[in-house]
Amino acid sequence: MSPALAKSIRRERLIKLIYFLGLVLGLLLSIVLISNMLVSMLLAFVTFYMLSPLVDWIEGRGLSRVTATSIPFLVLSLVVVILSVAVSPKILGQIQSIQENSQKYIDVVVHGLQEIESKLNLTLHNIYPVDIRGQVEPFLISWAAANFKKLPEILSQSVTVMVMAPFLAFYMLLDGRDIIRKILGFVPNHLFELTLNLNDQIGGQLGGFIRARLIETFFISLLTVVGLMIIDFPYALILGTFAGIMHIIPYVGPFIAAVPAILISVANEGGMNGLIGLAIVFSVVLFIDNWILVPFLVAKIVDLHAVTVVVVVIAGAQVAGVLGMIISIPLVSVFKVSFLAIYQHLIDFRD
Amino acid sequence: MMNFMWENLFRKDKNNRTITAKLRENILFQDLSPLEIKMVENIIHVRNYRTGEVIFKQGEMGVGMYIVAKGIVNIYVEEVEAASADSHSALITQLVEDDFLGDLALVENNGRRSATAIANEECTLIGFFKPDLIEITKRSPSTGVKVLMRLGEVLGARLRETTGKITELKKELRK
Repeated sequence: MSPALAKSIRRERLIKLIYFLGLVLGLLLSIVLISNMLVSMLLAFVTFYMLSPLVDWIEGRGLSRVTATSIPFLVLSLVVVILSVAVSPKILGQIQSIQENSQKYIDVVVHGLQEIESKLNLTLHNIYPVDIRGQVEPFLISWAAANFKKLPEILSQSVTVMVMAPFLAFYMLLDGRDIIRKILGFVPNHLFELTLNLNDQIGGQLGGFIRARLIETFFISLLTVVGLMIIDFPYALILGTFAGIMHIIPYVGPFIAAVPAILISVANEGGMNGLIGLAIVFSVVLFIDNWILVPFLVAKIVDLHAVTVVVVVIAGAQVAGVLGMIISIPLVSVFKVSFLAIYQHLIDFRD
Repeated sequence: MMNFMWENLFRKDKNNRTITAKLRENILFQDLSPLEIKMVENIIHVRNYRTGEVIFKQGEMGVGMYIVAKGIVNIYVEEVEAASADSHSALITQLVEDDFLGDLALVENNGRRSATAIANEECTLIGFFKPDLIEITKRSPSTGVKVLMRLGEVLGARLRETTGKITELKKELRK
């Protein structure tokens, strides 16, 4: 090959690579910068990975891709409508009740802290005055204001996300592969097979991870709701859903899941019996999660070190509050899966 | 010696056809209906190579096969001389339009390329890779079976050729 031709090929590869990376970067930036896009995309990805095997299966029965994609969406819409009619009035009622009683629950926390504070000051003989209440109370009040009093704002954002996410998921299922194929078209020839295989590996692992987490969340929510209903605890639906979502956060999640229920029990003066009942429900759920669900799904769930989890959750909370806490673990898991796949691939691919 | 491994046993001599026609006439896809061919067409990757550009290198991990849609592809094998332990690339065959290469990678797990493929002139190749084959079997199992049966036939024919060559070589050695 002549030096001029070699130079020309190198130039073409560079241009293709710049276009490809620019395209990927542009997509990522638009997801992060456009309001509500990140959450919508995350939900769309979850829906995509949840429905993708079903859509493939229906298509495999001889139906067109459009029909195969539409059927699960129609069924899912029907389920959402039925649930909205049957369950949402109860959930909304429970949210309203929590909102109305939020001051009562804050008072319980403040009172508890006040007691700890006075006991500590008594033990330390006021040598080092402790002021937990002064530090925590303003934070709790602002947190409650942010999460309960700004509820209409959060709900309006949720409506945008609820419209955008299924829309994006539908087109991801319908044309996603074609779009990826077109983007891959920009990859230079010498990196093409590597990128294609990498995309396939990351997609496969991500799909497994998301499906495993969804199954886990569903069962944890269901078990907690049933458990709380058995002990006749209020807000079972909300607390159960919250527990399911919190279990996404390893190690600390199951404990965070129990905190609101304990506070409500104390505020409602449920006494020791109420707390024992809660302890049994949350322990049974944790036992089922650790001994049945996780071993069954363990191959699909990315194992993160306890220290990593704590650091990531704190960072997530600082960046995006409660939502940041919840999505930080899946995001880091995605990065871990991608990083390991890329590393393994680079080791394996070249001679 | 490697030559027969790379020879296209299913070569056809026709020019200037569309990608659809080229797919239809490739042994792997010749049992598919027009609708199935359309699906495959939406899954495969058309790649263009400049003269002298490397398609894949010997020893690299292979992910799938290529059908030559336009141009000529040279196949080289790194040969090590027993006496000096020096290695050099030897041209073992040239693949022309409708030939295909790298089909073993469709069924191997982390398999390595056994030769280097370089574009001898401006080339257009149709890339068909393992993830594409898996996608076909998921989306249309009956189509996947048709492709896999043909792939089995191709690999079987290559194995038969190899066995024949080994038998011949053994006979020569005995002489």
